[in-house]
Amino acid sequence: MSHLRPQPRCLWRALLAAWIGLLCATLTARCQNADFEAANRLYEQGQFAEAAAGYQKLIDAGQASAAVLFNLGNAWFKSGKIGRAVVAYRQAASLAPRDPDVVANLQFARNQVHGPRVLPAAWQRWLGKLSLNEWSWLAGIAVWVWFLLQTLLQFRPAWKRSARGAVIAATVFALLALGGFTAAFADARATRLAVIVEPEVVVRHGPLPESPIAFTAYDGAELRWTDQKDDWVQVSAGPRRIGWVQKSQVALFHPLKMS
Amino acid sequence: MPRRAFIRARFAGFWAAVLVALAAAFVAPAATFTASLDRNQIVLGESVTLALTFSGGNPQDVPNPPDIPNLDIAYIGPSSQFSLIQGRVSSIVTHNFQVTPRQAGDYTIPALRATVGGQLLSTQPLTLRVLKPSAPTPEAMASGSQVAFLRLVVPKTEIFVGETVPVQLQLCLRREVQGISNFQLTSLPAEGFLVGKMVQGQRGQAQIGNALYSVIPLLLPVKALSAGNLTLGPATASALLEVPSANRRRDPFFERFGFPDLLGGTEQKQVVLASEAVPLQTLPLPAQNRPANFNGAVGTFTLSLTASPTNLTAGDPITVKVQISGRGALDTLTLPEPSWAGFKVYPATSKLDTTDALGLEGTKYFEQVVVPETASVQALPSFTFSFFDPEQKVYRTLSHPPVPLLVRPGGSASVPALAADRHAGQNQSPAQDIVHIKQRIGAVGQLQPLVFRPWFLGLQALPVLAFLGAAVWRRRTEQLANNPRLRRQRHVARIIRDGLAELRRFAAANDSEAFFATVVRLLQERLGERLDAPASAITEAVIEEKLRPRGVPEELLTPLHDLFQLCNQVRYAPLKTSQELSALIPQIESLLARLEEVKP
Repeated sequence: MSHLRPQPRCLWRALLAAWIGLLCATLTARCQNADFEAANRLYEQGQFAEAAAGYQKLIDAGQASAAVLFNLGNAWFKSGKIGRAVVAYRQAASLAPRDPDVVANLQFARNQVHGPRVLPAAWQRWLGKLSLNEWSWLAGIAVWVWFLLQTLLQFRPAWKRSARGAVIAATVFALLALGGFTAAFADARATRLAVIVEPEVVVRHGPLPESPIAFTAYDGAELRWTDQKDDWVQVSAGPRRIGWVQKSQVALFHPLKMS
Repeated sequence: MPRRAFIRARFAGFWAAVLVALAAAFVAPAATFTASLDRNQIVLGESVTLALTFSGGNPQDVPNPPDIPNLDIAYIGPSSQFSLIQGRVSSIVTHNFQVTPRQAGDYTIPALRATVGGQLLSTQPLTLRVLKPSAPTPEAMASGSQVAFLRLVVPKTEIFVGETVPVQLQLCLRREVQGISNFQLTSLPAEGFLVGKMVQGQRGQAQIGNALYSVIPLLLPVKALSAGNLTLGPATASALLEVPSANRRRDPFFERFGFPDLLGGTEQKQVVLASEAVPLQTLPLPAQNRPANFNGAVGTFTLSLTASPTNLTAGDPITVKVQISGRGALDTLTLPEPSWAGFKVYPATSKLDTTDALGLEGTKYFEQVVVPETASVQALPSFTFSFFDPEQKVYRTLSHPPVPLLVRPGGSASVPALAADRHAGQNQSPAQDIVHIKQRIGAVGQLQPLVFRPWFLGLQALPVLAFLGAAVWRRRTEQLANNPRLRRQRHVARIIRDGLAELRRFAAANDSEAFFATVVRLLQERLGERLDAPASAITEAVIEEKLRPRGVPEELLTPLHDLFQLCNQVRYAPLKTSQELSALIPQIESLLARLEEVKP
């Protein structure tokens, strides 16, 4: 069995690799922080558009967080881009639904909007107390607990009687968590919004510039995104207010496709 | 022949008549163009039909009546008529317009021009007089001569500015009115008032004078905006009533039983209704004893407040719920703003829950999140709400005492300095700006949800695999427990595995006695397991007694016999070298393996 014992040289290599990995992670974190600080500084100097670009760069690099999205929303809001701010706040709320700052700014931005908004129903508000990732963790933990308990009982069948209460509790917990996760996932999947990002947008009956005008929507108006064709997006603001807008005039929001 | 001549003469006459008629048709009469109204005098709320009639030809373009202030003119459609008079065919085409006035007064529709058959024709100007509808006299109402009328009922004639009162517009219909449709409130002059959304109330009956009327109440919330002697109304409306036809067939038999119109016979009648104007005195709110925090609420209200949690760490949010219940203009109520020094304040949200159709009674719920910034905060400030009670004609102030708080010093979760500073000067108007940016980046990562990340899905597979592995292990364990032969087989396999290792060790140590004793033990274990006999009962004799009868091949029995012999010899002459012992091990190993093939 001596051949399985780690050789000193291998141990050194592993330690070196771990140290290099840690160093890279630290440097990356410092770099992210530096970019974030730089964008914050631009915001404090009143250069809101530049600050927004800085935050967006972080997001594009896969370094998004609720704070980055929240600050991006603030930068857009201060730049007068209410629609883009609403989208950023909604994305921040998807990651941190209980953050009172995010909730307050989203509400504040919506109050500035002239036009329709998509507000959640009571059950959606209840589900929204946790983010989809939190629901995923909860369901994952519930599945782990249930299966590990079952695994333990395979090894110790004699404990079955005494562990009945724990099994029932784990089953109920797993069912509730999985039910909540399923509902949250279905809700996220069904939430497809197009937020107007230009001061005034003409919504047309068809996906052509010559199509007759259906209605007019204003910056920040939240419309349901129902279809897409070429560079046009079909939106609806109610059962009888359906039309098409150019994709460049809206920001699309889908909780499952935020990247 | 005379009959044929007669028929021929008849046909000749017929064709001559046709030719004359056609010739007459081609000789067109002079074209004319006239305009007419079906009535020259109507009551506001009614409509008249303007007919543009062309005879003797069709116009190139139908002239559109010009835009006349306060007169809506809408095209209805054409109608045509052909006539044959004295062999001459004439056609008349009429284009109809519906004319609806919006105000009472005299209107003139100017002369219209059209080109017909190359001829420019013109009409005469038309005049239309629109009268204000007038309410019927009380005597007419009492006598039952009115088929329908409106009444404007105000609960009191003296109201305060800001006070909202429920006004009833009663639509009274005589008993024989069988249906009503297209009801439209055409006007309700209400200068100095704000009139809310109209709600239909419960239909009832009322005895007015000698007549019994069916009453449809239409409720309107009316809020006084300015002080003075104001007038509400008169309200005017139009409706289409379904009333018994004047020339219907009456059946005395059914009339005797109270069913005069069992056989039908109704007609629709357009009516214009008007109510009397109601004078109202609106009073200004008294300046005396007006509380400093009074913000215009008029009505009767109660205040309640809850806050939670009250035992918390600095930086944690507290949800303050304020309920204002009562009667008045609830939708315009605003949250009383106490002094929020020491708190970070978020914009309040509100929800209105009304209990009556007009929305004048109910509860308005306010919810506000505040965050104590330091542990020095000891209580929520007291809430006070002032309103004017129009019934008692006094100002009232409701207050809720300060809610004590137990705030512990916070750790890293304290409010960022920038955000706190920004709100420090905005305690009175928390919703004037967005909350400031965050200073910490927090946990960064991809925006892709966890459920789409392969590592997360893989992680979820682990407990399932563990469970499946455990289930398989348990099944095998149970199988083993229920099968003693299998259990012994595995036990023997383990003994042989260990025994072979011991043989190598004994060979290396040149311990031939221990070596062959182990060989005998291994053979006993293997043969005992195969023959289902105790290992101690196995001797060389089993070769002849049990193995050979079972048909075990000779090439297996011979080396087995030799090995037993060798073991016996060595007991008495234990002189073997280490090399010789080592050379024996593969043979023993092979023999034990082949013995495993012996059928039990």
